Amino acid sequence: MRRMSPDNIVLRSLAQIGDCGLFLVAVLKAIPRSLQHARETVRQIWFIGALSLTIIMVCGLFVGMVLALQLYHVLSIFGGTAATGEVVALSVYRELGPVLTALLFAGRAGTSITAEIGLMRATDQIAAMEMMAVDPLAYVAAPRFLAGLIAMPLLTCVFCAATLLGSHLVGVHWLGVDNGTFWSNMITAVDLRTDVVDGILWKSVVFGAMVSLIAVFQGYTTPPTSEGVAYATTRTVVASSIAILALDFMLTAFLM
Amino acid sequence: MTEPDRATSDDRALVRVRGLTTVLNGKTIFDAMDLDIPRGKITAIMGPSGTGKTTLLKHITGQMRGDAGEVWVDGASVPALDREQLFALRERIGYLFQNSALLTDFDVFENVAFPLRQHTSLPEVLIRNIVLTKLQAVGLRGAAGLMPNELSGGMARRVALARAIVFDPMLILYDEPFVGLDPIALNQVLKLIRTLNQTLGITSVLVAHELAVIQQVADHIYLIANGKVVAHGDPRTIAGDGSPWTRQFFGGEADGPVPFQYPAGDYAQALGFPRSGA
Amino acid sequence: MTQRRSYAVGTGLFIVLGFATLAYLATQTTSVANVRLGATYTVDAQFANIGQLKERAPVKVAGVRIGQVKSIALEPGKEVADVKLAIDQHYDAIPDDSVATIFTSGLLGDQYVGIQFGSSKKAVADGGSLALTRPAQQLEEMLGKFFGAGGAADNLGGTYTVKARFTNVGALSVGAPVKMAGVAIGSVQSVQADPVKLDAYVTLAIDKRYSQIPDDSAAAVFTSGLIGTQYVAIQPGGSPDMLKNGDELVLTQSAMQLEDLIGKFLVNGSSSGDKKADGAPSNASPAGKQ
Ligand SMILES: Nc1ncnc2c1ncn2[C@@H]1O[C@H](COP(=O)(O)OP(=O)(O)OP(=O)(O)O)[C@@H](O)[C@H]1O
Ligand SMILES: [Mg+2]
Repeated sequence: MRRMSPDNIVLRSLAQIGDCGLFLVAVLKAIPRSLQHARETVRQIWFIGALSLTIIMVCGLFVGMVLALQLYHVLSIFGGTAATGEVVALSVYRELGPVLTALLFAGRAGTSITAEIGLMRATDQIAAMEMMAVDPLAYVAAPRFLAGLIAMPLLTCVFCAATLLGSHLVGVHWLGVDNGTFWSNMITAVDLRTDVVDGILWKSVVFGAMVSLIAVFQGYTTPPTSEGVAYATTRTVVASSIAILALDFMLTAFLM
Repeated sequence: MTEPDRATSDDRALVRVRGLTTVLNGKTIFDAMDLDIPRGKITAIMGPSGTGKTTLLKHITGQMRGDAGEVWVDGASVPALDREQLFALRERIGYLFQNSALLTDFDVFENVAFPLRQHTSLPEVLIRNIVLTKLQAVGLRGAAGLMPNELSGGMARRVALARAIVFDPMLILYDEPFVGLDPIALNQVLKLIRTLNQTLGITSVLVAHELAVIQQVADHIYLIANGKVVAHGDPRTIAGDGSPWTRQFFGGEADGPVPFQYPAGDYAQALGFPRSGA
Repeated sequence: MTQRRSYAVGTGLFIVLGFATLAYLATQTTSVANVRLGATYTVDAQFANIGQLKERAPVKVAGVRIGQVKSIALEPGKEVADVKLAIDQHYDAIPDDSVATIFTSGLLGDQYVGIQFGSSKKAVADGGSLALTRPAQQLEEMLGKFFGAGGAADNLGGTYTVKARFTNVGALSVGAPVKMAGVAIGSVQSVQADPVKLDAYVTLAIDKRYSQIPDDSAAAVFTSGLIGTQYVAIQPGGSPDMLKNGDELVLTQSAMQLEDLIGKFLVNGSSSGDKKADGAPSNASPAGKQ
């Protein structure tokens, strides 16, 4: 199954991307079959989605607080502190929310997916499933992929809401921006389609698919050794981070 | 009695291996091997470590494919099956992994229930009864709530055994079921294997090293080495059939045809067993 | 089994929480929050220039939202924009001689239509139109009017000095230009604090070519651009006598604090109109004079 990997790092990366693409096709094909394991998908949403809530909320809160602080000081030069809420919302909805959530998700959930699948392979659990006539693509890979796809937009929404809360705390309660101005400027400036749908939703769905695909792929194809699992986990973080930022640029260029 | 029974008819042999040749990483694991596993019997496969017993079981279940030769299970050519058919076949085969391979995410109960949940939509009560029955049979009903990492090696083997038999399959492949079992548990497992075979007529394949134990249950023994069947026969007589293979293997002698460090061909030929298999 | 169910419950809670947050973000923090369309009636207004006005932009009276822009179209055959305003039926007493103006909410904000009530007893009805409109003020124009254009003085022809007192010179520094009608005519020679009168005493060196400046002209400290340097602007008066060397300009206007200025703009747009609680149309843009 495993190919001889070329020496050249560029070729090796290209080969990985190609394998990853083929793997995506296999996972997509397994999705209909994975529906009979819907319970497993639910369990995975719990593990990689719900259990990521804390880190997402805490980070979102602090990002919102620091953004409000920074923006307030820059905007106060122009006497535009009333725009604090609006600028926080726009930057978080369009860029920071989806990107930071995806990066956190890669670190929190992506690594655990890779390590888990890698260990399942190393301890013959994947083979055991095959032997019990359970397709691991449908039982292991697809539910985690789907769970990532579903959890990421929801987590991004929670992250964005936490950011607003954080920026409201700092902007309104601490720095004294008027509450009504804070919200009304935001409401006027933020657009449902370009900011919430194209920003939060589209981006986070794409990032969710990307990160969970990379995580599952790395776990699934890692050599079944402890060193192999360790490398695969690292690769998940590196590859997803690069993919997230590169994709973010492309999505921004196409969507906006 | 050193040649497999070529005349064995289809309905007598559940598994038929013909001319199986497998090369892994340049090492010849099987060299045109022939082997029959009779229906409704307990067949033991023995051989030195690393000789390919586990690999043979993987061929039978389609986890691996040989480079040449045929593997027939219940009238179907395993290498020719597509994924669906293979899975359909595997639903009728129980497999005890050499390293247990329990699903670490689930507790003992769910591990044993796993095949049932995946392939049936039995009511929960029924699943519970089946699982508890199987756990009782391996003496671990009380451990139903433990997680795999809380089990000892021997307990894990017994859970894996319970999982392998939960479906009452037509064929059970046991890869070293007695490893890590104390004499009491060993006796129970032995009884279980015999009961399953006698009452349900389940064909069983036992890979094990314990000749004394095997002699109590097995109907037939295959001794494989160097990618071939070097001896087979009745458990009580095979040890005394006089061939150097059995003498060395069952006598535990250091000197003999079983290879430890040297390429197999040289040794076999030097000792006068130039077998081509066909 | 209980384990399994707790996953399902937790996951369900998570999904509900996620969607609730999404619904909140989508409806409470975006312009959707403004839509809240109850029963409305439509009023027409034609503008010479709508600037960046968009559909669904708010329509406000005294800073309070009363409706939104329903559609924007070019009036066939004419160079005017036909804007239809959907106004909440609660606000059905808008005088038909009211003035519709396109404002900008703050420096960074979107544009909206502000209606300043007229005095007519007749209210505008559904399908009616507001005849009096003022087009969008281009922010650049407005700022330009305040600040004039940049430029450097050339002192080739020799200078004469004029003095001026300001209560506040802001960040005016020595060497800053002195401008008339936006053209540099000299530079600031010195800026001193008067220890007695406690104000700023500024000496201006003006090019001799510009000797025809009436002696009742006013001097003001302005800023070029939003964050540019400050300069002194001379606004010519009507006196027949001209400024001479050593004269003092009596009419002066001190530096405008940019904060004040932008504050004024922003207050126009913010809906929390507590500073203009009277809601008088006097908060129209400072350059609304054509
Ligand atoms: N995936 C693999 N790739 C390459 N070689 C393999 C692979 N799996 C097994 N082998 C080799 O095949 C040979 C047979 O392995 P197998 O596991 O079947 O031995 P075994 O007879 O079950 O031994 P034991 O009694 O110790 O379990 C070994 O020499 C092993 O090195
Ligand atoms: Mg083995």
